[in-house]
Amino acid sequence: MNYPQWQLAFPGGMLIALVAVLHVFISHFAVGGGFFLVLTESLARRQRDVVLLDYCRRHSRFFALLTLVFGAISGVGIWFTIGLVSPEATSMLIHTFVWAWAIEWVFFFVEIAAAILYYKTWDSLPARDHMIVGWIYFVAAWMSLFVINGILTFMLTPGRWIETHSFWDAMFNPTFLPSLAARTAVSVILAGIFGYITLPRREGREKVARWAALWMMAGALVLPLSLWWYFACLPQFSQVYLNGVLIGVRHAVRGGVGFTLLALVIALVCGVWKPRWMRPPVVALLVICGLGMIGAGEYLREFVRKPWVISQVVYANDVRASQVEQLQATGVSHTANFLLTDDTTSMAYGENLFHLQCGSCHAVGGYRGMKRRVDGWDAEFAADILQHIPMMHGTMPPYAGNEEDRKALGSYLASLNQPWHFNITDGNRLEIGAKVFEARCGHCHTVNGNFRPLRGVFENETPSQVQDMFSALGAMSSNMPNFNAPDDQAQALASYISHEASKPVSVKPAPAALPNANHSQLTYPALWQEVR
Amino acid sequence: MHTIAIPHVDPLPVPGPVWLFTALLLVVFTLHLAAMNSALGGGIWALWNYLRGRHSDHPYSRQLANELAAMLPTFLAFTVTLGVAALLFVQVLFGNFLYASSILIGVLWLAVIPLVMVAYYGFYYFSYAAEKGKGIAGCVLAISLCVLLGIAFIYVNNMTLMLGPERWLGMYRAHPNGWNLNLGDHSVVPRYLHMVNGSIALFSAILAMLGMRKMKVNAGYGRWLVQRSALVFAVCTGLQFLLGMWLLLAIPRQIAMVLLREPLAGSVFGLALVSVISAMLLILLGSLAEKPSSLVYAGFAMSLVTLFLMVCLRHLLRLAYLKPYANLGALAVRPQVGVITLFLLLFVGGLATVGYMLWLVARSGRTPVSTATPQ
Repeated sequence: MNYPQWQLAFPGGMLIALVAVLHVFISHFAVGGGFFLVLTESLARRQRDVVLLDYCRRHSRFFALLTLVFGAISGVGIWFTIGLVSPEATSMLIHTFVWAWAIEWVFFFVEIAAAILYYKTWDSLPARDHMIVGWIYFVAAWMSLFVINGILTFMLTPGRWIETHSFWDAMFNPTFLPSLAARTAVSVILAGIFGYITLPRREGREKVARWAALWMMAGALVLPLSLWWYFACLPQFSQVYLNGVLIGVRHAVRGGVGFTLLALVIALVCGVWKPRWMRPPVVALLVICGLGMIGAGEYLREFVRKPWVISQVVYANDVRASQVEQLQATGVSHTANFLLTDDTTSMAYGENLFHLQCGSCHAVGGYRGMKRRVDGWDAEFAADILQHIPMMHGTMPPYAGNEEDRKALGSYLASLNQPWHFNITDGNRLEIGAKVFEARCGHCHTVNGNFRPLRGVFENETPSQVQDMFSALGAMSSNMPNFNAPDDQAQALASYISHEASKPVSVKPAPAALPNANHSQLTYPALWQEVR
Repeated sequence: MHTIAIPHVDPLPVPGPVWLFTALLLVVFTLHLAAMNSALGGGIWALWNYLRGRHSDHPYSRQLANELAAMLPTFLAFTVTLGVAALLFVQVLFGNFLYASSILIGVLWLAVIPLVMVAYYGFYYFSYAAEKGKGIAGCVLAISLCVLLGIAFIYVNNMTLMLGPERWLGMYRAHPNGWNLNLGDHSVVPRYLHMVNGSIALFSAILAMLGMRKMKVNAGYGRWLVQRSALVFAVCTGLQFLLGMWLLLAIPRQIAMVLLREPLAGSVFGLALVSVISAMLLILLGSLAEKPSSLVYAGFAMSLVTLFLMVCLRHLLRLAYLKPYANLGALAVRPQVGVITLFLLLFVGGLATVGYMLWLVARSGRTPVSTATPQ
C-alpha cells in the first residue's frame, strides 16, 4: 500500500522463487564446493596424486566461473527482486539486519578475493599457501551462509524478537541452528554432485567418482536429522501444513525426498559401483536432482511461512499486520500512495485492488490463477467471502480494505467469468451441485475429506433439509458468508451435499487441526521452549 | 499534474547513526566507482588496444590488451562486490525513494542482473581468448561493453528518478508494469555521459600509474603507456568539464544554486575543481618528460581524491533534491551498538585477511593478475 505495486502478468512471488531457487542452488555449492576443493587438494598433495591435483585445478576453474559470476550476481538478483516485489518487507529486514548484511558483505568480499586468488595461483603459490587461501575461502563462504541463514530463519520464526526487538533474538531465532545444519548438509551434497561435472575422462575417474559419492553420502546422513530438528522447531501453524493439509506441501515433501533418494542411488550405482557409467547424461540427471531437492526445500520453506512473508509482521502481500485494522476501517484509497484511479466505484479500482492485495501470489490466469478459482462467484458473494479469506486453508492474509473496497474487488473478481446459467435436469443435478460446491463451499470445506468436513452436519439429511439450512449460514458462524446462489443452483447443491454426506464411507472423516485463522498466535513447540 | 506520492519511511528505527551510514555509503560508493570505472574504462581501453594490436606494428597495444584482458573479470567482480555494499547502505537512508523508483522501471532494473552476467561471462571469455588471438574475442568484448553501457544507462535513470517523486504517480499510472524510463528528466543524458566519460578518464589515470610501475620492467612499454594514458586522461578530463557544465545547466536551477549558496557544497565543489585540475597538471607534467616522473603518482592520487569529492558532491545534491521530502536528521535512530562493533572488527579483520592473501601472493614473487588462468 505504501509503495507502487509492480503489476506483472504472473504472481510476483514466482519471480522471487525463480531467482531464489537458482541462487540457493549455486550459492550452497559455493559453500560446499569450496570445502570439497580444499580437502581434495589436501588429499592429492598428501598422496602426491598428480591426476587428482589436476582435477582440482580444472574443477576450481569451473567453480570460479559458476560461483563468482552466476552465484554472486544471482544473489544481487534476490536483492533486486525482493525490493521490487516486497519493498515493505525488504525495508523491514534492512532496518533490522543491515549490520548483519554488512558483516555478511565482509565475508562475501573475502570470499570473492579468496576465490579469485585460489584459482589464479595454482602455478605461483607454494602448496601450503595455496591451501591456506582455499581454507580462507571456505571459512568466509560458510560464515556468509551462517549470517544469511539467520535472516532467512527469522522470517519464519522471529521468536523472542517480537517482544524484545533485539538484534540477537532476531538472529539466533528458534530455527537458526537446525536450518544451519540442514543447509550445511545440502552444501556438502551439492559439492559431491557438482564434483562430477569435471570428472576426469580416463585416469583418476574412479577415484574422483567415489570421492564425490562419499561427499553426497556424508551430506545425506546429516540432512534427515537436521531436517527433523528443523521441523520440530517450526511454529504450530507451519507444522499443520506439513502434516498434510495441503496437497502442494505433500507434493513438495515427496518431491524433495524423491530427488534426494534418486541422487543417492545414482551416486551409489554410477559413482561407487560402476564409475564408467557416470556419463554426461547421468551427471545432468544428478544436477537436476540437486536442483529439484533445493526447489522442493525452498518451496516448503516459503509455504510453511504463509500467510506471512515475515511472520507476524508483514503479510505475503506486503501489507504490514499493524496496518490491517486501519485499512479495514478507512479503506485502501485513504492509505495507498499509488493507485491507478481515483474513482473507487470503478472496475479499474477493483482491478487495482486485486493487484495490490492478491498480486504477490495470484494472477488472473496461469499458476494460482484466480479466474478458475472464482468461477461461479457473483459480485455480492465475492465481496462477502473476502471477509473470510483467512479461513481458506489458513494460508491467506486477511483482506485489508473496507466494505467499499470489498465491493469493488468483488465486482472485479465476478467479472473475470461469465455468470452461471444451468439447465438442471435429474441427470446432471449432482454434477452441477458438485460445481456449485466447489465454487461456494469448497474453498473452506470438504464433505468427506479432512478439511473442515461437512459430513457430521449433513449426514442423513434430505436435500430439502439441507437447503433449509442455507438461508441461516451467515447467522450460524461469523466465519461464513451469506448464501445467495440462485434457487436452481441451491437445489443442485443441496442434492449434492445430501448425496455425498449420506454415502457409506469406511472411515468417518476426522477434522484436521487447522491453523489459527486470525494469524496472531505464534506458538512454538516444546522443543524450542527447551532450547530457550 | 498528479499528487506527489512518497512512501513513508520504515516504522522501525534506523539501527545506527545516520553519519555512520553516510560515511560508509560515501566510502564504499567511491570504491565501487573506482572498480566500475576500471571495468568499463578498462574494457574500452582493452578493446581499442586489442583492435589496434592485431596489426603487428603495435606490439605495445597487443601487450596492453592482453594484460587488461586478465584484469577485467576481477575489476567486474569488485564492481559488483562493492556495489552490493553501496546498495545496502543507500537502502537504509533512502530506501523509500529507491524502492519506489526501482519499481517504476522494474523491468529494466531487474534486467540489470542477467545483463551483468552476460558482460561478466564476456569478460571471462575475452580474458581466455584475447591472448590466443581468437577472432571473435573483440566482438565478445564489444558486446560486453555495450551491455555495461546499457546497465550504466539504467542506473542513471533510476538514480535520477529516485530524486523526482513529482514524476512518480503519473509515470506509474501510465505504465504500472515497470516499463518506464526517466527520459523526461533533462539531466539523464549529460549525467550518463559524465559518468561514462569519467570512467575512461579515471581508468586512464590508473593506467598512467600502472605504466610508471611497468617502466621498471620494460622502460619502452612503460613510457608509452604513461604518455598515452596521460593524453587520454587530459582529453577526457577536458571533456568532463564541458559535460559537467551541461549537467549543471540541465539540473533544476535551485539545485544547481546549492553549489554557490551552501558553504559545504560550495567548498566541496571548489575542492573538486582544484583537485581535478591538479590531477591533470600533475599527470601531464609527469608524463611529458623523456623519463616520466613520480608526479604521475601524485596525479593519480589526486584523481582518486577528485572521485571521492565528486561522490560527496553527488550526495549533497541528492540531499538538495530530496530536501522537500526527506530529512535524514529527523529519522528515528536506535543504534545496534554490539553488532556495529562486531562489524567494524570483522571489517578490519576482513581487510587484514585479504591483505594477508595478497602478501602470500606477493611473497611468491608473481602478481596474480598476470598469471594465466589454469588450463
